[in-house]
Amino acid sequence: MPKKYHIHPKATPLDLEYVCKFKIVRGENCINCGKCTKVCIYEAHKRRKDDPRKMADPNTVVCRNCFRCIQECPRGALEKSLDNDFTNIGGAFWKPDMLISLWKQAEDGKVPVSGAGYRGPFTGTGFDSMWTDMSEIVRPTRDGIHGREYISTSVDLGRRLNHLTFDTNGQLASKVPDTVDLSIPILFDTPVDNLISNVKVALVKAAAEINTCIIMPAVDITSDVEEYSNNIIPCLAPTEIDTYKAVLKKARLVSIEYSDTVLNDFPGLKEKIKKLSDALTIIRIPAMKDVEGIVAKLTHSGAEIIHIVADYRGQELNGSAGSDRRLLKDIIRAVHLRLVEDRIRDEITIIASGGIAMAEHVPKAMLCGADLTAIDIPLMIALGARVYEEPEKLLILPEGLAKIPLPIITQRMVNLMAAWHSQILEMMGAMGIREARRLRGETGRAIFFEEIDKETFGRLFKRREAVSV
Amino acid sequence: MKPSTVEIKKMPSRFKHQVPKYKVTRSDACINCGTCAKTCPYDVHERVEGHNKAKSPIDYKCIGFECQDEVFYCVAKCPRNALSLSLNPMYATLGDFRWTADMITGTWIMAETGYPPQRTDLEYNVGNSGGGFDKLRFKFPAHPPQVDKSEISTAIPLNRRNDGRANVVISTPVYGGGMSFGSVSLPTMVSKARNATIWNTFTCTGEGGYPEILQAYDDHVITQIATGLFGVREETVQRVKIIEFKYAQGAKPGLGGHLLGEKNTESVARMREAVRGYPLFSPFPFHSVYSIEDHKKHIDWVKEMNPNALVSVKVSTPNDVDMVAVGSYYAGAHIIHIDGGYGGTGAAPDIAKKNIAMPIEYAITKVHNFLKDEGARDAMTLIASGGIRTAHDLAKAICLGADGAVIGTAELVSLECVRCGNCESGRGCARGIASTDSELADLFDEDWATQRLVNMYHAWNVQLVEIIQRFGMRSVKELVGRTDLLEHIDYSHETESAHNG
Repeated sequence: MPKKYHIHPKATPLDLEYVCKFKIVRGENCINCGKCTKVCIYEAHKRRKDDPRKMADPNTVVCRNCFRCIQECPRGALEKSLDNDFTNIGGAFWKPDMLISLWKQAEDGKVPVSGAGYRGPFTGTGFDSMWTDMSEIVRPTRDGIHGREYISTSVDLGRRLNHLTFDTNGQLASKVPDTVDLSIPILFDTPVDNLISNVKVALVKAAAEINTCIIMPAVDITSDVEEYSNNIIPCLAPTEIDTYKAVLKKARLVSIEYSDTVLNDFPGLKEKIKKLSDALTIIRIPAMKDVEGIVAKLTHSGAEIIHIVADYRGQELNGSAGSDRRLLKDIIRAVHLRLVEDRIRDEITIIASGGIAMAEHVPKAMLCGADLTAIDIPLMIALGARVYEEPEKLLILPEGLAKIPLPIITQRMVNLMAAWHSQILEMMGAMGIREARRLRGETGRAIFFEEIDKETFGRLFKRREAVSV
Repeated sequence: MKPSTVEIKKMPSRFKHQVPKYKVTRSDACINCGTCAKTCPYDVHERVEGHNKAKSPIDYKCIGFECQDEVFYCVAKCPRNALSLSLNPMYATLGDFRWTADMITGTWIMAETGYPPQRTDLEYNVGNSGGGFDKLRFKFPAHPPQVDKSEISTAIPLNRRNDGRANVVISTPVYGGGMSFGSVSLPTMVSKARNATIWNTFTCTGEGGYPEILQAYDDHVITQIATGLFGVREETVQRVKIIEFKYAQGAKPGLGGHLLGEKNTESVARMREAVRGYPLFSPFPFHSVYSIEDHKKHIDWVKEMNPNALVSVKVSTPNDVDMVAVGSYYAGAHIIHIDGGYGGTGAAPDIAKKNIAMPIEYAITKVHNFLKDEGARDAMTLIASGGIRTAHDLAKAICLGADGAVIGTAELVSLECVRCGNCESGRGCARGIASTDSELADLFDEDWATQRLVNMYHAWNVQLVEIIQRFGMRSVKELVGRTDLLEHIDYSHETESAHNG
């Protein structure tokens, strides 16, 4: 058995201006009795250092919303509300709670654990409208998280044969294509343009440390990241192949931006790359309408790996802001099903990205039919970035990021992936699946809201009208 | 009907203030005339003779905008227009989609008074989750048969196998969920057991062992055998009426129990025969059970140890929960207890709570129908849990096909849990409910807690009896599986053509 794959987290706090969920205000009728200092077990209330006769302003960063100070203040002098910074951050997709959770995961690399039951809505859109299955008694689970059973998260990228052929002597006649193995079904995708140098190097180092790769514009692949060429996937337009000969030569994988030329002559493109490099080719396609048709056509003409990219909220890109845009979950399902119908699903590797924001999105995308995922914005959130959706997409990087030492920002990204890896193990363990490759298209281990709700409540409660035939 | 042991007593909050829904603001225009203090029957305003400034209004006592039409509406009465009324921003920090601030406040009122709130400004029967129970409504007939409340029974039998084992009947179709010693404090456990005794129902030890002090309530305690086997002893198995195998838990399906190191205090460690300060992870699954046949061996084993006890099987809600339920029937279980994905916990990964296994609403229907199709429904007691927050949820669960329900969070909210979700960290619950910290676990006494639970169970029973009466029925058993009494706010107004011929 190969050595167990493990990502090593290390507590790495950053001195960020964290957004607090709550704001506690001490009213003027406070009599400085100090009751709040006694009842708060999180030490949000303290006396002033310079004048212990008075109470200091509440330290809301540590507040855990237990309400004891509010309820026990003899004068009712404390008021609590949701902090405006908290309510304004993020948006409908990047919910404020999600950002807080990701910051925490990047800090300690641990699976977020809390008490009390789920607090969110019954269901949501996209990946929030599905649950994953679990096994008990008749289908055992796998105990991966505590290391009692090994659960593999490895996936491989590349073209696969539909079947093997043998010659008359029983010798293998098929030429088995090369693949690239990754230890985790998550690729890094360059999150922003014009990366500052230490963030770029950190992305590459973090990818290397967890044995995955980063997709990076070929122009950014400069001497400072050269030593990691094994973990860098240059991304370029088909017309730029000759410009980046040197970069291509060293790469294991290359990402080519989709265009009509690519669609109409994939074999020609492949031939051109082959002359320069052994790299496997990823076609990077924006998740537009009928992306499934394009994927099928490319697969038929020999494509090896296809990367479908939705927007930062996991929506289809169709130019208009219409509400009929599909979400990544449904895009992947459509692509997967189309390929299954065409009987070519096994031949191609599908990468899905855009709006992969939390650990659960990875196995869910795979259950819908992706072979693996790619992430971008979460890697910036790991460094303390804030996302805003309104009035338009805005990613604010923390001030002074350029001055933070490289090992710290690298470790924050590694921590985030450590937490995600453990969470993926939790979900796979519960499903009783010990091999990430088996997640692909395994919808039997998924529970889709729209299906189960209709099967259960639709059947029970829809009024039926008799129609005579 | 409530058992004669149930006695309702007012049991106010242990804290000086409640979380206010409204905010009454007094401006500088106030001349301290005292009109408001004289007017308000709820004591929101207080005027102390000799003080030159009126005290700040006590917001939480205010009944809010429904006061506008009353003659004692302070805002209208104030001669200087110094008072105004608004929603309190604090209220938005209480509760969540599943347990709204109104639902928490409503449950607190029930625990205090023993009756559903009289206030009309609280939506305490349904939450804001946008699915499941929160989309189901009762279809009460306009002219139901007249039934007197005293004729209505809420009792259900738990042994429907007719196998010579104890005929256990509980007086109200709900009992307390398993919460281990360690996850909750001893006063919490003891008051749950005392309430179960008073209500002639049950509470469950969870998997952290059977504290000696619970022996007095043996007939109303379910002892749990979970994957960690913490505190499982032959003598405790032998002295109870129900033994529960916990195969899985809704909040963390596919994962074992989880007690963080800080909560593993001296006494907890002793009970669990573990080392203090170390985190305790129960394995998953039972490594001795990989088939229904293995499962049967488990059940046979405890049946052998205790020839009179009933066996309950607690499982989570995977796609094939119906198969598991039928398997449990063949294995000889009396109770199949299904715990839905949105259930409570003292500590669970957030990813598991949100994503793994289906909500209870679907699972009840699935299991009920499958057991029926297999001809096993009448021999099994189907208990639902994991998201039963209110008496309305309970009645809806029964209409969907359950015989009764298990509740956990609702009990804790009665003890003034605010669902802050910090049960797992550090010293545990800041409010002393889910903590074994020597100082925090002493924040309330058992008499207070027991009465709050008795009151809340009573309020639920009052609501349940009212629902049964409005359907013109005489027993809660008549409600089981009556999905025709429910409607769904999305589907019931959609029409689907069914082709005849």
